[in-house]
Amino acid sequence: MSNNYFNTLPLREQLEQLGKCRFMSIDEFSDGVEALKGKKMVVIGCGAQGLNQGLNLRDSGLDVSYALRAEAIAEKRQSWKNATENGFVVGTYEELIPTADVVLNLTPDKQHTSVVNAVMPLMKEGACLSYSHGFNIVEEGMKIREDLTVIMVAPKCPGSEVRAEYVRGFGVPTLIAVHEDNDPKGEGLALAKAYAVGTGGHKAGVLMSSFIAEVKSDLMGEQTILCGMLQTGSLLCFDKMVEEGIDPGYASKLIQYGWETITEALKYGGVTNMLDRLSNPAKIKAYDLSEELKQIMRPLYNKHQDDIIDGTFSRTMMEDWANDDKNLLGWRAETAETAFEKTPAGDVEISEQEYFDNGILMVAMVKAGVELAFETMTAAGIIADSAYYESLHETPLIANTIARKKLYEMNATISDTAEYGCYLYNHACLPLLADFMKDIKTDVIGKGLDLEDTGVDNARLIEVNTALRSHPVEAIGAVLRGHMADMKKIV
Amino acid sequence: MNIRLDNLTVNFDDRFQLDEINWQLDDTQHWVITGANGSGKSALAAVLAGAGDTLSGTLEGLPPKVGLVSFEAQAELIERERKKDDADIMDVISEGTPVREILCEGGRNPELISQLVTMFKLDSLLDRAFRKLSTGESRKVMLIRALASEPDLLVLDEPFDGLDADTLKMLQQYLAGLVESVPMVLVLNRFDEFPDFITHIAYVDHGRLQHQIDRHDSKAYNELYQLLHLKTTDLEVPGADPETAIPRLDPTQPLVRLNKINITYDGHRIIDSLDWTIERNQHWQLSGPNGSGKTGLLSLITGDHPQCYVNDIFVFGFQRGNGESIWQIKQFIGYVSTALQWEYKVGTGLRNVIISGFYDSIGLYTKATDRQKKIADEWLALLGMSDRADTPFNKLSYGDQRLLLIARAMVKHPPLLILDEPCLGLDDMNRQLVLALIEKICAGSETSVLYVNHHAEDRIKGIDNYLKLEKREPAAG
Repeated sequence: MSNNYFNTLPLREQLEQLGKCRFMSIDEFSDGVEALKGKKMVVIGCGAQGLNQGLNLRDSGLDVSYALRAEAIAEKRQSWKNATENGFVVGTYEELIPTADVVLNLTPDKQHTSVVNAVMPLMKEGACLSYSHGFNIVEEGMKIREDLTVIMVAPKCPGSEVRAEYVRGFGVPTLIAVHEDNDPKGEGLALAKAYAVGTGGHKAGVLMSSFIAEVKSDLMGEQTILCGMLQTGSLLCFDKMVEEGIDPGYASKLIQYGWETITEALKYGGVTNMLDRLSNPAKIKAYDLSEELKQIMRPLYNKHQDDIIDGTFSRTMMEDWANDDKNLLGWRAETAETAFEKTPAGDVEISEQEYFDNGILMVAMVKAGVELAFETMTAAGIIADSAYYESLHETPLIANTIARKKLYEMNATISDTAEYGCYLYNHACLPLLADFMKDIKTDVIGKGLDLEDTGVDNARLIEVNTALRSHPVEAIGAVLRGHMADMKKIV
Repeated sequence: MNIRLDNLTVNFDDRFQLDEINWQLDDTQHWVITGANGSGKSALAAVLAGAGDTLSGTLEGLPPKVGLVSFEAQAELIERERKKDDADIMDVISEGTPVREILCEGGRNPELISQLVTMFKLDSLLDRAFRKLSTGESRKVMLIRALASEPDLLVLDEPFDGLDADTLKMLQQYLAGLVESVPMVLVLNRFDEFPDFITHIAYVDHGRLQHQIDRHDSKAYNELYQLLHLKTTDLEVPGADPETAIPRLDPTQPLVRLNKINITYDGHRIIDSLDWTIERNQHWQLSGPNGSGKTGLLSLITGDHPQCYVNDIFVFGFQRGNGESIWQIKQFIGYVSTALQWEYKVGTGLRNVIISGFYDSIGLYTKATDRQKKIADEWLALLGMSDRADTPFNKLSYGDQRLLLIARAMVKHPPLLILDEPCLGLDDMNRQLVLALIEKICAGSETSVLYVNHHAEDRIKGIDNYLKLEKREPAAG
C-alpha cells in the first residue's frame, strides 16, 4: 500500500491545503460547459451517481459514454442495463478509456485503487481523471501519472437528487478541487468548473476546496455528527423511553421522524432557530444538556479528528477492508438487532411541534454534535466554510435518510468510510454517555416538560440566547445560507 | 310558486336558441343568471317572462304576473313610442306619451308609483315624453313599472347598468326589502354586483344552463367567478418579454421533424418507426389509449426522454445529439401535463411560478426582472388571481394550479405549446376554465398548439391536424 499523501507534506503545506474552501460566485461560471465541449467523457461505474451525473452532463450537451468491466457487459448486469436503456454508448475499459479526454471515476471509494490501477495505463497522454471523493489520493496515496490532470467534482447529494434537481432547472451544492500535483497544463480548474456546470451544480452553489480539505472534513463530519451522533442518539433515546414506560411505537416514531423534523429547523435557521422552536424553559433545558454533552464528548471528537488528520482512521479502516470488513459487517448486523431498529414506528399522530417539545434531548444532541464537530474541525485548521458544510449543512440529509430507512439501511446507504467511522463513533460514544443517560427522564425525551408555569429568569434567557447566537457556526452559517437565500427561499 | 323547466329548448326568431334547459326555481330562492356576452343569459331570463318559441320540453308553474326589466323590453317600449310618432304623415308635432302615462299603464298601484318616482328622483320628468328620456332615465321608468306591478316574480336583466351610484344603492336596498315578498331572478355579469340576498347562481354558456350553484358553496362560487372573469374580461394574453426573447427560428424549417422514431422499454417497442413533422403555425391533436406512447413521444420532443439521443430528431433547428443542451430545446417549448403538476410541489408564490416559465424551471432560481414581474402580474390579472400573487402555489386548488401552469407555459410565447391532457383530473367547471384559457391563447398568439387527449373525438376548435397512436401489444414470446 502506498503512503498517506497528506503525511508526506510539510506542515506549512498541510495547513494551506486544509484551509482551502471558498464559496464561488456564479459569475465564475460564465464559460458554461465550454471547456468540455466536444471532449469525450467516459464514466466508470453506472450506479446512482454515475448514471445521474452522466444524464445531466449529456443533457448539457456533452459527450458521455460508460466504461464497464467486460463481465458486467457480458452478464448484462444492472450497471449495463442502466447505461444502455438510457441510450448511452457502453464499452469495456479497453474500448473506451483510450479515447477519453476525461475519465470520471464514480465507483465506490473502496474500489478506487483497483479501478485507477486498471484505468491509468489505458488513458491517453494529457487526459483528465476526475474523482468525486479524494480518499484514494489523500489517504491511500495513489500516485497518478504526471501527464494526467486530476480533479474532483463532488455533488453534495445522493445521485437521484443530482438528477431531480437538474431536471427542475436547478442543481445541488457541489464541491470542486484540483489536485495541484497533477495539473500539468493548468486546465484543472476550468475542467472542474465546466463539469460542475454540466451537472447543474453551479446554480446551487460551488465550493472551491482542496482534495485534502475535502477528505479530512468529510470524514470528520460523517463519522461524528452526521451518522455517529444520530445513530448513538437514536439508540440511547429509544432505550431510555422504553425503560421509562413510554409506548415503544411512539418512541420509535418520535426518533425516526424526529431527527428530520428538528434538523429541518436547523437547515433553515441554524442551531439558533432549532432551539428557538422550543419554549423558553425547554430551550434553557436543551442548552444545559448540550453543554454537558459537549463536555463529555469533546475528547471523543478530538480523537476522531486527530485520527483522521494523522491517518490512523484510514489505516485501521483499510485494515478492516483487507480483513473482509469483519468489524464493519459484524457491527452492521448488530445494528439490525437493536430494539429501536426492530420496533416499527407506531400508528400515532405526532405534530411537527411535538417532535421538538418531546425531543428536547434530541435537540441538545444535535446542537452538541454540530458545534463540537465544527469546533474540532476549525481547530484542526479546516476553515469555517468547509466545517459548516460538513457538519450542520449535511445533518438534515442523514436525518432524512433515517426517517426513510432507519439505521440499518442508513448505514448501508452511506459510503464505506462513513459507515466505518459511524461504527467507531458509536462504539466509543455509547459507553461514554452511559452515566449521563442515567439522570435522563421523560421530561426531556418522550413527554416534554409539562410545566404549569413556563416563566423563566430574564437574565438566564438572555445568557442562553446570546451563547446560541454568538457561536461561530452561526456566523458562517448566516453568510453561507445568505448566498443561497434567494434560491432556497423560492424553492 | 314552483317553476319547472324540463329539457326545454326555446327558439328566439331563429336568432338564438336555448337548448335542453333543466331548471327549478321556488319562491324561497333568489337567483342570479350569469354568463358571457351572447351566452344566452338574457334569453333564459326572458323565457321566464314568456318569451321565445318552445320547440321541445316543458315549462311549468310560471306565475301570472312577471315583472320584467331588460334592454329588450326597454327597446320594445321605445320602438312602440317611436311608431306612435306619426308626425311625418300627420304634419303635427307629436310629443309622444308622457312618462306619467307610461307608468300608469296596466293599472299599477298609484301610491307605490309615486313613492318609487320620488325614490328614483323622476318627479321632474313625469310630464316629459318617454321617448325623450335618456337611456338611464328610461331604464328607471322600466324599473318603476316592474316594481309597481306587484309581480309574483321579478326578472331584472342587468338592472344596475347605467344607474348612478346613489340610485344603485337605493335600488339594492329596495330589492333587499322585497326578499320576503317576491322571488327574484337577476341577470348580472359582475360578481361584485351580486346582492347579498342571492341564494343561487345559474351559469349559462352557448345557450345551455351549464352550472347551478348554491351561493354558500364557496368553492364552486369562486370557480364560477374565475370562469366568468376569463370569459368576460377584455384583458388579452400578455406579451412576451423582449429582454428574454426566444431566438428566431428559420422560417423555412419545420418546428419538429421525427424520422423513423422508436421507443423501446425492456425490449418491447412502444413506438415503432414513426414519422411526424410539425410545421409552423400548425395545431395538432395527438390521441391514443393509455400505453400507446403519447407521453413518450412528447418527451422525445421536449428532450426529457433519454432515448432522444438514439433517434433521428430535428427540433427547433437542432439535430439532437450534436452538443446542444436540453435547455436550448426547452426554451422553444411551453409544456403542461398532470405529471408536471405533480412535480411542481413548491411553496413559492404564484407570481414566481409564472416567471419560472421564462427559465423552464420548477421553482425559480434566478432573480426576476421588473419586466418579468409585470408580465406575470398581467397573467395573474387575466386569470383573476391578482389578489393572490404571493399565495403559495401548493395552497391553490387543483384546477387553479392547472390554470397557473398553463400561464407559466405561455409566458414566454413559445413557438410550440404542448398541452398533455390538460383537462385530466378536472371537474366540469375547471375543464371549462382551462378550455376558456386555451381558446384565449390560441386566439391571441402565434404559438402552435399540440393538444394531447385520450379521445380522438374530443376535439378543440382551431386544431385541424391529427395523429392517433395505437397501443402495440407485446409480441408473443
